[in-house]
Amino acid sequence: MPAAIRSEFRKLATVRAPWLLLAAGPLVVLAGVTGLVQSGANVHARGTQDTALAHVGLAAVFTLLFGILAVAGEYRHGTITDTFLSFPGRRSVVAAKLAVYGLIGGLAGVASSLVAVAATAAWWAAKGGSFQLSSAGTWRTLGGGVAVSVAFALIGVGVGALIRNLVAAVAATLAWIALVEGIAGQLIGSRLARWLPLAASESVDRATLTAPATRLLPQWGGGLVLLGYAAAFAAAAVLTTLNRDVT
Amino acid sequence: MTQVDVRGLTKEFGRMTAVRDMSFTAPAGKVTAFLGPNGSGKTTTLRMVLGLVRPTAGQALIGGVPYARLGQPRRQVGALLEATSFHPGRRARDHLRVLAAAGDIPGRRVDEVLDQVDLTGHAERRVREFSLGMRQRLGIAAALLGDPAVLLLDEPANGLDPAGHTWLRGLLRGLAAGGRTVLVATHLLGEVAQTADHVLIVSTGQLRFAGPLREIGAGNQALESAFLNLTEEASYAGRDSQ
Repeated sequence: MPAAIRSEFRKLATVRAPWLLLAAGPLVVLAGVTGLVQSGANVHARGTQDTALAHVGLAAVFTLLFGILAVAGEYRHGTITDTFLSFPGRRSVVAAKLAVYGLIGGLAGVASSLVAVAATAAWWAAKGGSFQLSSAGTWRTLGGGVAVSVAFALIGVGVGALIRNLVAAVAATLAWIALVEGIAGQLIGSRLARWLPLAASESVDRATLTAPATRLLPQWGGGLVLLGYAAAFAAAAVLTTLNRDVT
Repeated sequence: MTQVDVRGLTKEFGRMTAVRDMSFTAPAGKVTAFLGPNGSGKTTTLRMVLGLVRPTAGQALIGGVPYARLGQPRRQVGALLEATSFHPGRRARDHLRVLAAAGDIPGRRVDEVLDQVDLTGHAERRVREFSLGMRQRLGIAAALLGDPAVLLLDEPANGLDPAGHTWLRGLLRGLAAGGRTVLVATHLLGEVAQTADHVLIVSTGQLRFAGPLREIGAGNQALESAFLNLTEEASYAGRDSQ
């Protein structure tokens, strides 16, 4: 294993904060599925099961924050200096962070999926519904949720490299999700709004925050758009990191 | 022999010139003290030598090669820049294990350097529980980890108690006696008078003196008056020209 990747794993293995952050994902999924059923959702209706499983995609916000920690967290604690002293070319640092955080982001998505399936199956059994693990919708929803978890981790690494102040990076990201994309979407109209990052992610993970599902891109199209955003942020992470003075 | 050569280094931050046309050599087997008031450009110079800050002009070479092109930088150069660059939740030993993984350095070195800086008994504690002096020792351990031929240390005595100062003096002398290049940025003149072979004096980003300590004269007093003369002259000159 390349030294840059090995040291990224070791950095993660020796602190607690990122794991607490990632653990919030499955907990949110559990609470979300429970809340859906408790608020009276019809477990016999066709779409309800996918709505429950789509909480996996909502939990991807935690892999986004996890990705931000990768770079902005190192600037916050000053450890970025040591990291660049070990890898003065810096390119391998960004590449290693993208690989490691993308992988762990995906595993977090898988963990959320397992919790989503278990919680949904349990509630459906309790309420007398019939849970369909083998339906196509199940796998498209869970697969989409895992894909968004990976893409968001990569985008997070890029955001953290662009906005090195950890608090500012997290604030900007949460503001985008809660507020800015919705307003921007109204300004540019729903035909264009489908191409914005959060809307693209919703077409992939089939969770709906910003728009009814009918206004979103098809799942594959949203996937390509999200891949494009992830690539753009990853490229931005490399470009902004290579020549920047670390004072 | 791995010496550090600084050639015409200049760094401008916007309109402010932090370092202006700095040239010097830190030879192997000697302790070279890099002296100057706060804000005189010492840290910026060290960061340029280490490839963290891009010079506006000039270059810095370590054994004839820029830092960024060293094959195994952690094994060739050890650096201490500030005592705050730790993740507060990481244990001391883990901090060194991360660096060992990054530098392809065998794990047994972690315990060796912990022992060398007298932190073995605190290795399993998280850095947030450390005093400034303990952080400083951990930073020095990190610099020593790769057993490098060149050590660049920025204010290594910060936060150390009197026993720590004595310890550090012995450490630096021992490293130089072993043939290593030791460059220490500091404003503790008393320490320098007892430790350094060579002295570089900077103020307002420019080198004012470079030479053996004995050229300045023996003892703390002589060094202090030379330092004050050289750095005050410069700041008056700077004021006049503005």
